[in-house]
Amino acid sequence: MNPRDSEATPAKPLLRCTGITKYFGGVRALNAVSLDFMPGEIVALVGDNGAGKSTLVKIFSGIYQPDEGSIWLGDSEVKHLNPQLARELGIETVYQHLLLCDNLGAAANLMLGREPVSFRLGPFEIIDAKRSIEDARRHLSELGSALDDLSQPVRQLSGGQRQAIAIARVTVGAHSLIQFDEPTAALGMRQTRATLELIQRVAAQGVAVIVISHNLDEVFAVAHRIVAMRLGSVTLDALAHQTSREQVVACMTGVSFGKDAS
Amino acid sequence: MRPRTLASTAWRTFAGRRNLGLLITVLVVLLLVSLVSPQFLSIDNLLVIALQVSFIGIAALGMACLIISGNVDLSIGSQYALCAVTAAMLAKTIPSPLAWIAGIALGAMLGLIDAFMVWRIRISPIIVTLGTLTIFRGIALRVTNGFAVRGVPQVFSTLGRGRWLNVPVPVWMLAGLAMLAHVALHSTKQGRHLFAFGGNPQAAEAAGINGKGMVLTIFAANGALVGLSAVLAASRFGTAAPTFGVGFELDVIAAVILGGVAFTGGEGTIVGVLLAVILLGTINSGLISVGVDPHYAQVVKGAALVMAVTLDQLAHEQQERHRKKLAMQERSPAAGT
Repeated sequence: MNPRDSEATPAKPLLRCTGITKYFGGVRALNAVSLDFMPGEIVALVGDNGAGKSTLVKIFSGIYQPDEGSIWLGDSEVKHLNPQLARELGIETVYQHLLLCDNLGAAANLMLGREPVSFRLGPFEIIDAKRSIEDARRHLSELGSALDDLSQPVRQLSGGQRQAIAIARVTVGAHSLIQFDEPTAALGMRQTRATLELIQRVAAQGVAVIVISHNLDEVFAVAHRIVAMRLGSVTLDALAHQTSREQVVACMTGVSFGKDAS
Repeated sequence: MRPRTLASTAWRTFAGRRNLGLLITVLVVLLLVSLVSPQFLSIDNLLVIALQVSFIGIAALGMACLIISGNVDLSIGSQYALCAVTAAMLAKTIPSPLAWIAGIALGAMLGLIDAFMVWRIRISPIIVTLGTLTIFRGIALRVTNGFAVRGVPQVFSTLGRGRWLNVPVPVWMLAGLAMLAHVALHSTKQGRHLFAFGGNPQAAEAAGINGKGMVLTIFAANGALVGLSAVLAASRFGTAAPTFGVGFELDVIAAVILGGVAFTGGEGTIVGVLLAVILLGTINSGLISVGVDPHYAQVVKGAALVMAVTLDQLAHEQQERHRKKLAMQERSPAAGT
């Protein structure tokens, strides 16, 4: 169900961008992109390589600064977004190459940088190991994922388990926007399904979600709204049930397949 | 889930099994040497070994933390020389306790110099500290004109030659610092973040950990430990030469790696490093005790290091195969729940 459909509360975008333009040298990577993102809504971002999807994601996560345009969080404009500020604003990104410390356990990865402290010893903050494990287990189970041994180095885990940890890690801190950069690219079928379920659970907690994907089956399975991009411009911004694969492909490639050549 | 005792947990981890292996090796060496030379196991002799290893041991604690965090400092041999001669020279004009402190503080400063360059230039710490290795040695030779510092007051030597409960002061210091390092590395936020940086610096930065602060702190702490080690040595010998600590970095790094710290960062335990330091010291004095040409000690120590890393590599390959097997199972359609 799309959060936009609910009549009770008039939908108000959680995050909004208007007229975002980004140049890399002489190349215009993004051309006046304006989008808004509702709480609880999963937006699929599709497009060919070089369409500007990753650039847009990197602008939201503060890695790139737009040359023109503005970003609004609720009613306030966000200026000079950088990775640190993005984190503080609750914008998190799950990257294609998972950002996990392979040598640490699941709990240590999940709680990295926000370890619960039991007491201080001079300059040292002693980690509350038990609470760290409990918190990590709780975060994982909120996403419907469970692991027996949370201290085993994550390099020994399977791709799907690692994915679950990476997703759980960003959702702990995210309260406005979570971006998934091709979350299922490296996964088998069963783990892909589990990951899509994870994404739906994350969205159900009321944050805005962006998913970059090349797989249209996946896109239609999870997305409430589909945004197609081509050569830096938004060519389609439609509710998933009001569009079709043909239209999405046409907007991605710029080639229309006969019937709606608008 | 089956209940786990502390011992079985330690056995389950790779590091736990490795440390047990080191401990057994130490005991075997002690036993073998004592068959030939029974006095080897006397308390006095064991204390001599402990004293001999305490200088490398103190420096190895800092080096272990550095390498775990994905860094390294090759200039510690020259830091050692510079701190030793500085403390000894100062002791001739200022009270000895102040000279000790000055030597340690100088070490921290030299570490900070390395850290600033490692962070600012963003070149491999190997290259940066290879440069400062030469620079610091050159300074040590210049300030002493190449001669050993003589005429150091008696008081200066009380630290290195002192005993408490019949145990030499440097050994107490190693024991205390090792316990502190163990807790700091394995139970604190700061220690956890060292491991995180050694494992995946990008992920650590993404988690909001301050990499610059960490690099500065860890290099400075390492320098202070090297300074302490140098002050203890100068104090014990009652003199200091600018040629102190040539090859010190290699001995220290060898002990750290033998102790199970991965040179690529992210893995290691203080217990392992301490056991390796003890093992190398035991081999060293054991070979002398049984009358083997001391030059062979180099060969034996080197062989121990090569053997240890070979075993590590084999174990990791096995682990990797296990992981691949898991991944295959997950991908196969038959593996449905």
